[in-house]
Amino acid sequence: MIPLILPALVLGAWEIASATGLLRPVFFPRPSTIATLLVAQIADGTLLGQLGLTLARLAVAFVLAAVPGVVVGLAMGMSRRTREGLDPLFALIYPIPSVLFLPLVSFALRAEEVAVAVTAAFTSFFIVAYTTMTGVQQLDRTVLEAARHFGARGPRLFLTVLLPGTLPAIFTGLRLGLGYTLIVVVAVEMVGAQRGLGAQLWLSWQILRVEEMYVALVTVAALGAALTWGVERLRRRLIPWAQDIGEVGA
Amino acid sequence: MIGAALPLLLVAGWEIAARTALVSPRYFPPPTVIAAMLGRLLTAGEFWGDALTTLARLAVAFLVAALAGVPLGLGMGLWRPLRRALEPAMAMLYPLPKVALLPLFLILLGVGEGAFVFTAAVTAFFQIATSTAGGAATIDPRLVEAGRNYGARGIALFRKVILPAALPAVLTGLRLGLGLALITVIAVEFVAAKSGLGHLVFRYWQMLLTGEMYAAFLLIGLMGLGATRGLRALQRRALAWQEWRH
Repeated sequence: MIPLILPALVLGAWEIASATGLLRPVFFPRPSTIATLLVAQIADGTLLGQLGLTLARLAVAFVLAAVPGVVVGLAMGMSRRTREGLDPLFALIYPIPSVLFLPLVSFALRAEEVAVAVTAAFTSFFIVAYTTMTGVQQLDRTVLEAARHFGARGPRLFLTVLLPGTLPAIFTGLRLGLGYTLIVVVAVEMVGAQRGLGAQLWLSWQILRVEEMYVALVTVAALGAALTWGVERLRRRLIPWAQDIGEVGA
Repeated sequence: MIGAALPLLLVAGWEIAARTALVSPRYFPPPTVIAAMLGRLLTAGEFWGDALTTLARLAVAFLVAALAGVPLGLGMGLWRPLRRALEPAMAMLYPLPKVALLPLFLILLGVGEGAFVFTAAVTAFFQIATSTAGGAATIDPRLVEAGRNYGARGIALFRKVILPAALPAVLTGLRLGLGLALITVIAVEFVAAKSGLGHLVFRYWQMLLTGEMYAAFLLIGLMGLGATRGLRALQRRALAWQEWRH
């Protein structure tokens, strides 16, 4: 119960302050007004449309980052030559904030939707790849040795020892990558899209329809929280034996 | 050796493709042209002005975030009631992409530096506070016990035992926070500000000055690389007692 007190107090104070004009209702409409609009936008389907579009972009970007990220990360972890071959190039591109790739990507791919997804995939790819690589490198050497002694080689060694051992790291990479992709999708929508939650957020601010801005903000927050919750549930189900290993850097 | 091969191949391939108009040189100018632009960019004042602006925003945002995030994180990690009170709010706000708060801060603080810097500071703050709290909450209790047994109390216990034990997590939080702050500053500049490296790239994009755009791009990458490598070296030095596996 205690956790709910603080938010409830804040909302209550806000409601009173904007109802009495202590806060300017133009900028800070009453929470009850925002809630009413939220319900209305859910009822007429506009909010779900925006949410669906953002989710679709997020999903495409995430898949574009996750699949090559895991494959390249595994390869870099297992083969020293691959790692040394790719590392200098990656190290240079990784620190460039993803949003900046938008111009470059939109030159290469004229379709706007594809450009948004590819842009949002960039940095997440590196996060997934590097976390996976670290996971392979941190595998217990004794376990690998033991597996080799028992005759596990090639694909069998990979499937029964390497992959399960790396799963926790892969999962951490995917979790971080997903969070990151959400940031970039929203940011790119703010800059360069006409629809989607980020676009609603930015456009409604520009024409000062602040209620709509708050509705979009609440929805983005709920989306972020729901994704985090879902990923945690998934982790407990898929790899119950392992703790989340937390962040590792490149 | 092998590390240089791939970038060289890519650059050579790009050069040939652009020279033979296999890709449009207007959008993908040959690397030699970009290199020339790079020289011009480094000698012109424009780039340095924008770079300084970005660095100043980054520095202020990072300082604000660190000064607020580290103490709060330590408090949450060490003192259970504070953690109980704040954790739900933190857990709710942590996954929110903070860029989405930019319009709100523009309303609260007006269109200007305050809102730009604050958005980046909030992003870094959550990362720093969360990492620090996690580190402080998982300090080996045996270390604290041992410290107590040797007579460390209050401030001495904090300085000699708790702080060093939490330091790895604090430094990791600071490093990740700095990275996030940089990304947010650049994104905010790209979207809303009229100066800084993010806006420089945006400007070149709008004017289709692609050579300059790629050159600025490369410089931002090099700056980021320098910053992350530098921080990593710093972390290793500060935590000389820790084992590094990679």
